[in-house]
Amino acid sequence: MIFAGIDSGSRAIKVILIDEERRILGSGIMDQGVRQAALASQLLKQTVKQIGAIQEEIASILATGYGRDALEFADETVTEITCHAQGVLNQIPQARTIIDIGGEDSKLIRLDADGRVRDFMMNDRCAAGTGRFLEVVSRQLEIDIQNLGNNAHLANKPAVISSMCVVFAETEILGLLASGESTENIIAGVQMSIASRIASMAGRQITEPVILTGGVALISGMAQVLEKTIGHQITVAENPQMTGAMGAAILASHQEE
Amino acid sequence: MKEDIRQISLLDWDKNYARLKRAGLKDPFYGGLLSRHVKEGDLRLLRLKFDNSPEALNLWNFLLTEEERLKAARQNGKKIVGTMKDLGTVPVLAYAFSNVVAFYPDGAWWIPCIMELSAGLLSIADSIGINDSFCPVRAMLGAFISGAHFPIPDLLICSTGATCDDFSAIAQRLSGLGYPIHWWEIPHRHPPDLGESGVPLPGGFQTSPALVDHVKSELEGIKISLEALTQETLDEKKLLASIEVSNRIRKYLNELRRLTFTANLCPLPALELLIAEMLAIHFCSDREETMHVLEGLLYRVRKRIATETGFFNRDAVRIFWVNPVADLSVMNLLEDCGGRICGTEYLFTHALDEIPTDSPPIEALAKMALADPMVGSASDRAKRICRDMRSFGSEAMIISKIPGASHCALEGSIIAEKIRRDLNLPVLEIEVPPVCDSIRTSLRTRLSALIEIVKQRRKN
Repeated sequence: MIFAGIDSGSRAIKVILIDEERRILGSGIMDQGVRQAALASQLLKQTVKQIGAIQEEIASILATGYGRDALEFADETVTEITCHAQGVLNQIPQARTIIDIGGEDSKLIRLDADGRVRDFMMNDRCAAGTGRFLEVVSRQLEIDIQNLGNNAHLANKPAVISSMCVVFAETEILGLLASGESTENIIAGVQMSIASRIASMAGRQITEPVILTGGVALISGMAQVLEKTIGHQITVAENPQMTGAMGAAILASHQEE
Repeated sequence: MKEDIRQISLLDWDKNYARLKRAGLKDPFYGGLLSRHVKEGDLRLLRLKFDNSPEALNLWNFLLTEEERLKAARQNGKKIVGTMKDLGTVPVLAYAFSNVVAFYPDGAWWIPCIMELSAGLLSIADSIGINDSFCPVRAMLGAFISGAHFPIPDLLICSTGATCDDFSAIAQRLSGLGYPIHWWEIPHRHPPDLGESGVPLPGGFQTSPALVDHVKSELEGIKISLEALTQETLDEKKLLASIEVSNRIRKYLNELRRLTFTANLCPLPALELLIAEMLAIHFCSDREETMHVLEGLLYRVRKRIATETGFFNRDAVRIFWVNPVADLSVMNLLEDCGGRICGTEYLFTHALDEIPTDSPPIEALAKMALADPMVGSASDRAKRICRDMRSFGSEAMIISKIPGASHCALEGSIIAEKIRRDLNLPVLEIEVPPVCDSIRTSLRTRLSALIEIVKQRRKN
């Protein structure tokens, strides 16, 4: 039997197919768009085809992510909070805190000793503290988002980004560029600014092990900056962008049970 | 035959109304099609889901016709008194006079929601310097200035001191605009000093006798103002009679709450219960009719419980809700996400507790005023919430922060911490603006995640 987890996120759609033993059979990712349901369906079909299966072999489809309710073909929808927890626990059963930094929001999820979600905090009212900030900077500095981390490594003194809002930060960055600040220092400053946002959302409510998930975890150096800011060791989840989809696939297999 | 219980849209209500009329429904004087209020600008009604019972229809029509009643009262020579901020104390005093209709201008805070910002009340408040750094109750200023939502009262009475700072500032601005206000001071409630014998208050609190004396003298001052306005002398007998009527309403409401919160199947949706609870503080400008509306709801709820009918699934997660929401549609959203209301604390529990009848009436009102959750400490409030959550069997708590409300900044974390520590229950804090459409997806995720957390706990 095949179980499908779809994470219809704000920036990307992710699909994972697993079997009864939670072995990953296939996965796929594509940019989010206007026709969310059609795109997710297309990605699912592609992924199923890639593993040489047919759609009818899927026993259950579970959708998560901000666009989950648009996916009417899913058998069930579950929030990304529950799915990220499930996805992380599958890799690291002793995890107690999850920091998920996505394209348009960030979340802090606290787990109890039994692996249940204890509570969560979300920032989705402001782009600061999310991947969106990095996208804006990438565009502004004309550096590919994948290379931001490599540039940040070369910083000798991260710039101070004082604006609490991405819109104002853009102007601030223009000012920094005009004053001759290096792009490396600016990128490092932005990473620190995102980390500060997460730290202020988390407060003192962090218990180790702390796991980082979401697309922003793929940016080189982000975990280290976050580690330094929150004062706790951070483990980046394996394939962090797919954690929610993996959790969704596992929960889909539970539905079948 | 089991009742066909459903939450229906406004348009479905019109069809339902026609069917009920054919079956012999007798409308009260404020009755009629619910959709007529949309024509008057109450656009939000189109987005809400309503209980389909005739008693719920009466509740909504009663709420949405208050302006007409106030205008009629003025035409009939009644004195109109605006009782602001105290949330339930002064109306009991005002209704003891035979020729007074009291109402609650603060209730205008829901106009931006109900009219989907079309009345421009918040913009008017902005234009006079009371911007969105203040609580949405600033809409009241717009209502006074536009004169479009209620007649200007003959007398305004407002409590200040240990109340909401925002409201005091807003009312002060109103006073500065030329609307005279009779201010009265409510002091911060504190326990009796060491060696001092405490005065028991409704809600299980104790305080110093000096505080009760102070509030008594403030209420005496209000009584004098009302006597001057009405040219009527208020004796103890009239005030006792008014307390008795108010207590009857409180009994009805407490029974309605208890039945709704503890029933296996939810017999009354969150939205209707919220509107009903609000009647405790303002009586919607007609105290007698408030009783009839509540009697009707109680009848309906009892009937549903007796026939084991209700809304939502049996496994709906039992939520305790703290603070009223500025956008009413969020109560529907909670239920869409799999929750139901099992306990509320909308900042006026003192208006639900029965007024003591073993003290002289002014003293009894003073004790009631001092039991106000906003007058005491946040930890007092948290203790009471904790007690109520235990008794109603709530499984989680939602604290709905009011945007701009200064008191919400700190009290939420104190209450949340107490519930987590003492009851080990999950808590979600949200902030709801008057029209929350732009954050609806995010709110849905938060509410759904809370429901999922509780369901996971049940499994374990």
